[in-house]
Amino acid sequence: MPREHDREWDPELIHKVDRYHLVENLEQCLQCGKCTGNCPVAAITPSYNPRAIINDVLSGSITRLLDSEEIWRCFWCANCYRVCPVDINYPLLMMQLRYMALENGYGQKYVNGINKFVFKAFDHGLTFVPGQKGIEKIGRLRTGVGAEPWPTVSDEAKAQYQAIFEQTGAREFMEKLQDSEQKPLRLSYLEGRIVNE
Amino acid sequence: MNSPRVITPQERLGTKPEKLFLFRSCTGSMEYPGTESAIKEVLKKLDIEVVMDSDQTCCSGYILTCSGHTPEPSLAVTARNLSIVEQRYAGLDMYCFCNGCFGYNTELSHILKHHPAYMKMANDIVGQWGFEYQGKVRIRHVQELYYLLLDEIRAKVVRPLNGLRIASHYGCHYLAQQYEILDDGDLPTFHEEIYEALGATPVFYKERRMCCGYSVGRGFTHKESVVQPHLGRKFDSAKEEGVELMTTTCPGCNTALDREQVALANRGFGPYNIPVIDIGQLIGLAMGIDLDKLGFAANTIPMEGVLERIGLGKGA
Repeated sequence: MPREHDREWDPELIHKVDRYHLVENLEQCLQCGKCTGNCPVAAITPSYNPRAIINDVLSGSITRLLDSEEIWRCFWCANCYRVCPVDINYPLLMMQLRYMALENGYGQKYVNGINKFVFKAFDHGLTFVPGQKGIEKIGRLRTGVGAEPWPTVSDEAKAQYQAIFEQTGAREFMEKLQDSEQKPLRLSYLEGRIVNE
Repeated sequence: MNSPRVITPQERLGTKPEKLFLFRSCTGSMEYPGTESAIKEVLKKLDIEVVMDSDQTCCSGYILTCSGHTPEPSLAVTARNLSIVEQRYAGLDMYCFCNGCFGYNTELSHILKHHPAYMKMANDIVGQWGFEYQGKVRIRHVQELYYLLLDEIRAKVVRPLNGLRIASHYGCHYLAQQYEILDDGDLPTFHEEIYEALGATPVFYKERRMCCGYSVGRGFTHKESVVQPHLGRKFDSAKEEGVELMTTTCPGCNTALDREQVALANRGFGPYNIPVIDIGQLIGLAMGIDLDKLGFAANTIPMEGVLERIGLGKGA
């Protein structure tokens, strides 16, 4: 492993990571570690340490984080946020770190698993729609409780749901993920859509 | 955490609603159709009218947590769903029965309300179909309503649960919710009060606050082999306390805890055979709602033992 030099650290990293301006109080972190103590992922994976990750972001030490597996472990349970004495919304930091990793050519393999479900959600307006056999089984179970065989999402709603994905660039993002074999992504969706300045 | 976030159901919900908007859950309506139907039946017995809308789509939160897409579509989808409630059912509160829908809708609407640029982006998109999210609709969870109406539920119990030993699983996405909840995030007890009202025995087990593993185990961020020992620990501690039934308030948690028991047994944990149902189904059971409507057929771990225990066995 190449040695990391502090000249490579980027003091502006936090502002680059927080591109959506959702964790603007990160610098208030006390490094108390309550997040880590309350994190179910840290209980499972001792190398995953939210406190240390915040520390790395604040000190601008980017290399270790972006190609790490750890940043893909968080699943937004927000137990860290619940106990944080200074109200740092850590899950939203993690979300944005992942986009940064994807742009730098890391971590696509961790998103590929969800990719086909995203396309299915795009088609149906519902997440986790199973295959034909599963749909039939759902039909039997729903009929059994006296409901219509399928939880209807109107055609209009589906069309609007899809249009939202197209217009926010999410469809493009999904397709790029599908094509990419660990190639850096260019996330063009941000440009011109949300202005924070 | 700096501002008090635990409040009473009266403060949170006000008086009993006559009518409410029920937010459809994808997992709930597909994996466990009995959840939605049980909730509707229970609310009918409590004289509350329920409206749903087929123009409502998925909250699109779960895929966002897996970084399957960017936040923009989720923000716009949230604005669209919530503005449907605001415009078509003005004055009604929106009730979710999935901790995921509840948590994501709350978080995403919070972002919309506190970042004018995102609100504008979302409303620009949904505006083309005549929607405008104004941030007025209140997002609530059905479990909060049960607690508000606890006395009424107690009075309507016709099938007391005969001291059945029930354990709770509240779910992270409710308890870790930042803005307002009904109970302490570390030691919540309001589900246990509901069990008592139904004539059951609440059981506290060591790992009751542990995550269900839906996202970490069945999802995409972890290998199952890493997660299962931990889920096993949760069930071990439940088994030690003699738990006969576990309840959830989230179809995602329910899927993980119910369906995963087979995989756990295959790896040498258990077998536990603890049925897991939604707390709405449990209330429906005690209120005497037709078993067909409660939809236990969708469960992997069968409910027969529990039904027998409260005198509803096949022979009865």
